[in-house]
Amino acid sequence: MAGKLGVYLCAGCGIGEALDLGQLAKTAEGAGASVRRSHAFCLEDAALIRADVEGGTVNGAVIAACSPRVNRDVFRFPEAVVERVNLREQVVWSHPPGAGETQSMAGDLLAMGLACAARAEAPKARAQAAERNVLVVGAGMAGVSAALSAARSGLAVTLVEREERLGGYAARLYRQFGEVASFAGAEMPAIEEKSAALAALANVTVHLRSRVVEIAGEPGRFKVRIAAADGTEREAIAGAIVLATGWRPLETAKYARYGLGSAPDVVTSLELEEMARHGTIVRPSDGRPAGRVAFVLCDGHEDDAHLPYGGSVASLVALKQALYVRLLNPHATAFIFYGDLQTPGRYEYFYESVQADPGVMLCQGASVAVKRREDGALVVAAEGTPLGPSVELPVDLVVLSAGMVPELGAAEPALNLRYLQGKGVPVSKFGFAESNFICFPYESRRSGIYAAGAVRQAMDLAAAERDGRAAALKAIQAIERSATGEALHPRSGDLSFPGFFLQKCTSCGRCTQECPFGALELNERKNPVLNVNRCRRCGICMGACPVQIISFSNYSVDMLSAMIRAVEIPEAPADPPPRILVFACENDAYPALDMAGLRRLHWSAALRIIPVRCLGSVNSILVTDAVSRGFDGVALLGCRPGEDYQCHFIQGSELLGTRMVNMRETLGRLMLEPERVSVLEVAISDFDKLPAMLEEFVDTVQQLGPNPMKGF
Amino acid sequence: MAALIEPDLEFKRAILGLDAPDLTACYQCGTCSAVCPLSTPDNPFPRKEMAWVNWGLKERVLSNASIWLCHQCAECSAYCPRGAGPASVMAALRDFSVRHYAAPAFMGRALGAPRHLLLLFGAPVVLLLLLLAGLGHLDGLPAGRIVFAKFIPDGWVEVIYSLAVGLALAAAAWSGLRYLNAMQQAGQGRVGAAELAGAVVATLRAIFSQRNFKDCTRKRPGLRKTYREHAHRAHLALFYGFLGLVITTTSVAVGMYVFDYQEPWPLWHPVKILGNASGAVLIAGLAVFSWRRAADAARAGKSTYTDWLLLTVLALTALTGFACEATRLAGLRQVAYPTYFVHLVLVFFLLVYFPYTKFSHVVYRSAAMLYSAAIAARLPAARAAQAGLPAADAARSLPAA
Repeated sequence: MAGKLGVYLCAGCGIGEALDLGQLAKTAEGAGASVRRSHAFCLEDAALIRADVEGGTVNGAVIAACSPRVNRDVFRFPEAVVERVNLREQVVWSHPPGAGETQSMAGDLLAMGLACAARAEAPKARAQAAERNVLVVGAGMAGVSAALSAARSGLAVTLVEREERLGGYAARLYRQFGEVASFAGAEMPAIEEKSAALAALANVTVHLRSRVVEIAGEPGRFKVRIAAADGTEREAIAGAIVLATGWRPLETAKYARYGLGSAPDVVTSLELEEMARHGTIVRPSDGRPAGRVAFVLCDGHEDDAHLPYGGSVASLVALKQALYVRLLNPHATAFIFYGDLQTPGRYEYFYESVQADPGVMLCQGASVAVKRREDGALVVAAEGTPLGPSVELPVDLVVLSAGMVPELGAAEPALNLRYLQGKGVPVSKFGFAESNFICFPYESRRSGIYAAGAVRQAMDLAAAERDGRAAALKAIQAIERSATGEALHPRSGDLSFPGFFLQKCTSCGRCTQECPFGALELNERKNPVLNVNRCRRCGICMGACPVQIISFSNYSVDMLSAMIRAVEIPEAPADPPPRILVFACENDAYPALDMAGLRRLHWSAALRIIPVRCLGSVNSILVTDAVSRGFDGVALLGCRPGEDYQCHFIQGSELLGTRMVNMRETLGRLMLEPERVSVLEVAISDFDKLPAMLEEFVDTVQQLGPNPMKGF
Repeated sequence: MAALIEPDLEFKRAILGLDAPDLTACYQCGTCSAVCPLSTPDNPFPRKEMAWVNWGLKERVLSNASIWLCHQCAECSAYCPRGAGPASVMAALRDFSVRHYAAPAFMGRALGAPRHLLLLFGAPVVLLLLLLAGLGHLDGLPAGRIVFAKFIPDGWVEVIYSLAVGLALAAAAWSGLRYLNAMQQAGQGRVGAAELAGAVVATLRAIFSQRNFKDCTRKRPGLRKTYREHAHRAHLALFYGFLGLVITTTSVAVGMYVFDYQEPWPLWHPVKILGNASGAVLIAGLAVFSWRRAADAARAGKSTYTDWLLLTVLALTALTGFACEATRLAGLRQVAYPTYFVHLVLVFFLLVYFPYTKFSHVVYRSAAMLYSAAIAARLPAARAAQAGLPAADAARSLPAA
């Protein structure tokens, strides 16, 4: 508990001109805090705060100045609780100067800051030595690249591969498409040299024909059991894990309409790769050289074999293999039938280089079928092409694009996690290891486990190679963070973690289920046990707990509740100005409000905004608190949930949605209108629309009239 | 009914070799058809030709009217995002097409490459020398006032040339009919003789007004430079210059054989004035074309052998014609008669070989325009409107439609 509070009232950036700071100082002094004032605490006067903290006169610094999102380093005092009161962006820049409502908003925010700081404590890290060893599962291009990258950075690497050799699919390729300028033509795959380089490194242990049978623990100290094909088992400790199990081809049955499996001269691109590696492209039916080879991309929308996430790989492989046809037999002709040929970025040059060969002919078709004519000839029939509405082309060989399905283990999950939430890493609707695609592409929903390569997204070799390197860097970072007890992103460096007041735990297990990262396990008494390095410090458990026993040292239901109570609710006899509480997600909504302020967009002075780590950390009881206290409405500003979620903690806003149902019921019991509480979805780029959205909510609430609970 | 496609890589290579080296870059965006001032929604080109050539669909390309409906404004090449040069491809296709339909085929091959030039010029030289030998005129040039008929009598020239040109016309007609027949078998379908006859007036109007060339420069989609902006006026000069000379020659023949009004006719004679004026206009048009071809070669696309062959032979024919007249008037006997000989050789080359040179476009382009006019006359009013034409006007405007 911060008993010695110091308030630092900054008058810079227009705050002094817009507000009566003397009055705010009185508020602070009334609460028992010391007060200092400056025209710029962010400059040399920051030393005043430092002196107070280091001198021991202040252990809770309430800095009433700019947004907590700026000047973080200036106002970093690890020994003390630091509470930032956002007078600049969210009061004076976004409200009329000198107005009574603006002043009372500033007063409330200061009181909220004081209430919070008084109950907070500076977090103390739970640090523990971390194992500097990276486990890489899968030794295809991504895995080999990750292993090389981690090993060359000085970490020990344990590489586990199911097959009897390194290289995965990369080692089974005849050529790969051009990766270096001019990006034309096909090159030897780079996997052999990488595998050789890996074998030469002393700090790499390779387990071939092996698989991971169990992983327990947390980042910094995962306990891993590896079983070889001969039944022997080994144990290893890993600080972090790279999941690079790659892909497997889409099952043959999906290509039935093309005759794969029944017509011998219809093959997949994998089979063609095999033929090319052996030097000749022939018709499997009679072994004769294939003079006319048709490639079918299988990307029609009604096509069973169409994978919506296929992206550019199928296009690039077809182009590359068309080159094989021409390289291995100059008299042969290659035809490519596509719905959508995708060659992004520099691959445009590769596409152009293939296209320049007159013996490679490309044709878009709305629908492509493979038929057998009465005379036995194999025919590709395409509809809706530039060559004609319906055309048929006799060919010797048909090559179908092998769809890339993420390989996470069909019967047995690839990682065998001993986690309460399950053995596998959570996957997206396409079966890829799930991550926040925009912000944290390599993250899986299991902290310290990073997905790389085709198990993360359908990709080509160059991308898999980059992916491996990037995932290795994330793995190293996870190990470093584990050693110091710091959180991984998005709350990078946060030392706080949830504590559980277990005497009051009802063993309902909700926290263990709602944690998006599987950080909590249950002990024999069905009480939650935290694996601190798995925890991302989002507070979703705190929002979930029905008996509110989960708190951080600097973030708790009690602190939020105190902030709510700190707001002065006007109770004028007739027509009091409304007060609306806003919980704003610190990842998107709160920065969006700051940006709106920065642009001097104004919003209603009835709002009292509390930043929260995630909307999922808002416990229902807080909403009840707010309406009981007399707030006329509560808005929850957060990220979009659902399939295209933007939540930085994946499920926070979605979980809030389910809790909202309960909250509305509570409102009903209190004889209040459910419309008084609303969730508003905001993306960080919505700052320009935000004031109008808030205004609309204020209007809705005002139409309902004042909260009848005011004054009780 | 699905159409069987038979890609012919050799055909594709042949077109690539006819100065259309970038055609493989086409990715079928259709910008070319969208910017073409002559193509219409009912018959868009040159996009489909680009697709067909890339797939080596020889018969389909060559039995297609569009390649001759194109008047080479080069807007497509100016706007092609891939630099595939559709205009060059269309020119190459016409070039190839002339040889494809040539009858007899060896004549097509002979006119298609410079190595046969000596033989081709040798033929009329030998023919004329044999005639001179037969007439006993090889001993020396005729004395006295210069009258070309004294050197090579008009009657012999008329007989030999009429026979040769008659053969050429027959060959050209045969080729034109083969092309027309090929179009009838192909995509746009068959039109009856009555429909073709009905389209004759519209086609002739389009030809005499050179409207397609005019549309090429007038209906431009944007401001990009095509280096073909001179084409309408220059071709107008060639067309009417050449027509003037045809009228002149015919009038002289009629004057001589019907009214016994022997050469040379005085300079003030209207026919003579028409001839000289037409020759001058023709040379002016040729000069513009030659100059632009040389000056803009890099930007407007290269010129092929067949392009230069026709330009050169036409220019030399016109120039030697003027040279004959000038040296005759100047009394330069030693120069005038040999010049006349050369002029006759060139005229032979121009007229007798015409079905196999670029000159044959008068046949193929007319056939394509006639066929397309007949097809377009079938268009319902709505489609005609879509094509940007008043319904009643559809038939008339067809070469464009």
